[in-house]
Amino acid sequence: MNNKIINLLLLSFLSLLIIACDSKQSTNNNRIVIGISADVQTFNSLFAFSYEESVIADLLYPGLLDFRWNTQRGELDIYPMIVESWQWSNDSSFIKFFLRDNIFWSDGEKLTSADVVFSYDVYSDPDVQSRLFGTFNQLYTDSDGLIDISKTFKVISASEFEIHFPENSIVDLVEVSVPIIPEHIYSNISRDQLGSDEVNFDPVSSGAFKFKKWDRNQTIILEADSNSFLFTSGQVAELIFKVIPDYTSRILQLKKGDIDLVELVKVEDMEDLKAENNLSVINLVGREYDYIGWNNIDPKSFSAGMIKPNKLFGSSNVRKALTMAINRKEILTEYLLSQGELAISPVSSIFNSVFNDQIKPYEYNPEESKKLLTQEGWTDKDRNGILEKGNEEFIFKMYYPVGNPLREYASVVVKNNLKSVGIDVTIEKMELGTFIDNLYDRQLNSWMAAWGVPIPLELKPYWYSDPNIGVLNFACYGNSKADEILDQLDARISNERKNEFVKKFQEVIHQDEPVSFLYWTPNIIVYNNRLKNLNVTPYGVLAHCWEWTLNE
Amino acid sequence: MNKVLKSEIIRTLFIRFLSSLLTLFLLVSFLFFIIRLAPGDPTDKYVSAKLGSELSERIAEKFSLNQPVADQYFAFVSNIFKGDLGVSYNYRLPVFNVIWEYFSFTLIFASISFILQLSLSIWCAVWVVRKQNKWVEKFTSNFSLFVYSIPAFVLGVTLIYVFSVYLDLFPISGLTSLDHDGLSFFPRIFDLMHHLILPLITLSAGGVALFYKYAKESLDEIKNQTFVVNLRASGLDENIILKKHILPNAIRPLISVAGVELGIILGGTLITEVIFSLPGMGRLAIDSILSRDYPLVIGCVFTAGAVMILANFLADLVKLKIDKRMIKGILN
Repeated sequence: MNNKIINLLLLSFLSLLIIACDSKQSTNNNRIVIGISADVQTFNSLFAFSYEESVIADLLYPGLLDFRWNTQRGELDIYPMIVESWQWSNDSSFIKFFLRDNIFWSDGEKLTSADVVFSYDVYSDPDVQSRLFGTFNQLYTDSDGLIDISKTFKVISASEFEIHFPENSIVDLVEVSVPIIPEHIYSNISRDQLGSDEVNFDPVSSGAFKFKKWDRNQTIILEADSNSFLFTSGQVAELIFKVIPDYTSRILQLKKGDIDLVELVKVEDMEDLKAENNLSVINLVGREYDYIGWNNIDPKSFSAGMIKPNKLFGSSNVRKALTMAINRKEILTEYLLSQGELAISPVSSIFNSVFNDQIKPYEYNPEESKKLLTQEGWTDKDRNGILEKGNEEFIFKMYYPVGNPLREYASVVVKNNLKSVGIDVTIEKMELGTFIDNLYDRQLNSWMAAWGVPIPLELKPYWYSDPNIGVLNFACYGNSKADEILDQLDARISNERKNEFVKKFQEVIHQDEPVSFLYWTPNIIVYNNRLKNLNVTPYGVLAHCWEWTLNE
Repeated sequence: MNKVLKSEIIRTLFIRFLSSLLTLFLLVSFLFFIIRLAPGDPTDKYVSAKLGSELSERIAEKFSLNQPVADQYFAFVSNIFKGDLGVSYNYRLPVFNVIWEYFSFTLIFASISFILQLSLSIWCAVWVVRKQNKWVEKFTSNFSLFVYSIPAFVLGVTLIYVFSVYLDLFPISGLTSLDHDGLSFFPRIFDLMHHLILPLITLSAGGVALFYKYAKESLDEIKNQTFVVNLRASGLDENIILKKHILPNAIRPLISVAGVELGIILGGTLITEVIFSLPGMGRLAIDSILSRDYPLVIGCVFTAGAVMILANFLADLVKLKIDKRMIKGILN
């Protein structure tokens, strides 16, 4: 009897299995599935700190203006978004914005000037601690960074308002435009509860797509909002973000056609994916570069509140010699399969109007490197294969965060290259959190890491000598000439002058070589050929994805 | 069971409950200090070229991270007694709410795997013992060793390549298909099963092999004991001897292992969750560690610890149910 029951159960299970295996997959082809590596934690634009969160928030909540990458000039062009047009005052002290007539929130409410004013107020509120807190320096703010609404905004009607700027403020429209959030939803919630309220998981939006469903760590489904001013009849019905933490799984699903687009594909997979008939590959270079950081000052003295040049890396000639001793092209060719670009400075060639193409890179030249080191007093007097200066031997540890095969490979090349000029490097891996902590404390002598380059280009936080301004100047680089240029860039000057200053800045940096710039790493994007109208630019892969269409 | 024994059981269970709470309290207290001593700062991610360090300082203030560790600990302890493990820095939600979202899946997934492991391994061991065929025994013994030695990530990826990529029988990842919500009840169940078969095999294979080894050894040992030989000599049916006398005795050591194994499965779900993109607590725990979300790390460890203690306790109760003579051992 028992055996019969077991057999029956087994049979039922197998039948279910067969039915399950046989069940056909989705028949809805009017959707795009994008593979992402991590889930979001909120849909609230105020707290969209991660890359995935900000991409989705920007889709749900368009700002006043639209920005499109101009490849020729290497900068952003500005277009209207939720505003129809705008007008500068004669004295440039304010801008008058005219909202479009046909803008509605996904719950049917009309988007008005009140939403705009409310959004700026909340983003700048110190109690809210939003992702844009502290970025409204060009508006009237109090000492805590909160925008003075009465001074900054003048609401003329539900669709017209002015934004006023303090005297001598340098207005950058990219900074002025923030994603607009619905006042009628968020004003009912206490400001300190905005981060945890349920509304964050069922957002009311105004973009081309609205929220449909979120299965945590599985999928985020956005659907076309036919009430949106961005909606077009050819727009795809659904935009789905599928969370797939495992890289191999993402690639397999891309090949299989389960997902349509993946970013940050590894270089070694590129050829294989190119060979697939259903896939196309785009390589975006110029938003991120790898570098070797040399601490220009002594970390121990820095901890004690003093600034002393680093014994090993304090001299720009030594740093240049180190760059010349490293065969960057070898890494670029062997590991990145020539898909990246050699880096010369923190400004990439995509920024056409400011990129200084007159600067020649330091070529790999061990002999010249040795000469420079000898000039700086580093010689191998005791003939042990390691250079000395006084009692100091040229020995140091170089750190890099775990989990990056490119840096693992590069570190071996660097170690061998430097060994050949008489420098002994020990390579150490470090857990990412610990690594970042040490960088902020300026405690590392040497490290290998990467910088992402923001658009519009930002240089001051990375290279200004005052650590309170140059918060990300981990190499503790300091040059009054560079500081002066960076200050000038903040002044009210013409774009042409600005471009000249940035070019000049690259010369100064090249002369000082505060770090060894290695290469601009590629962002390889692979997508299914059924996707059409993709306009992938360095500004963002999904920046205008509502314009994408699908092959019939 | 007499009254004295009953009250003794209740008293001992109460003491065990209190000692479990104390263990959990010590565990989270220890963790509280360890994670704060470790390098890394939860607010580092709020520093950027655009924002500077002002936002990170304000967030540190909001979550009291700029307070002395001792003060933070006292606040933490007083919250614990109110049943509150704090607010997750990343999710900005109470830790228990976040954990529940992910733990429910892990618990169900691990429980199914656990039941599968136990039932399959015992069924297999009984079948092999009944067969009494040396070749079958050898094969199953070597095969179980082979399966046990395959790391979960190798097995998972191999299954995906064979069954999802080449044979196209199962989905590569995820818990449900994109059209899941539009399906009626039974197709929904099938859809879920369709997605869970490969992950369940990945998570369970090692456990099946392990339990099989224990069950087989135990069955072999019991079946040759004098009382079994006597029962056989008295002419009792072999099936009855196996079911009523050999199996209950053989299963006991397995239950002790099962208690520990349940905790291990919960930890082991992480690899399976990552490979098959499943929404479980393993991924949540790792993400919280990497982002230094202290309250969430403590919450995850607390939950895992509580489940481990509960699993061992349940294992003891099951042992007690099977053989009441074990009561003294369990009480001690």
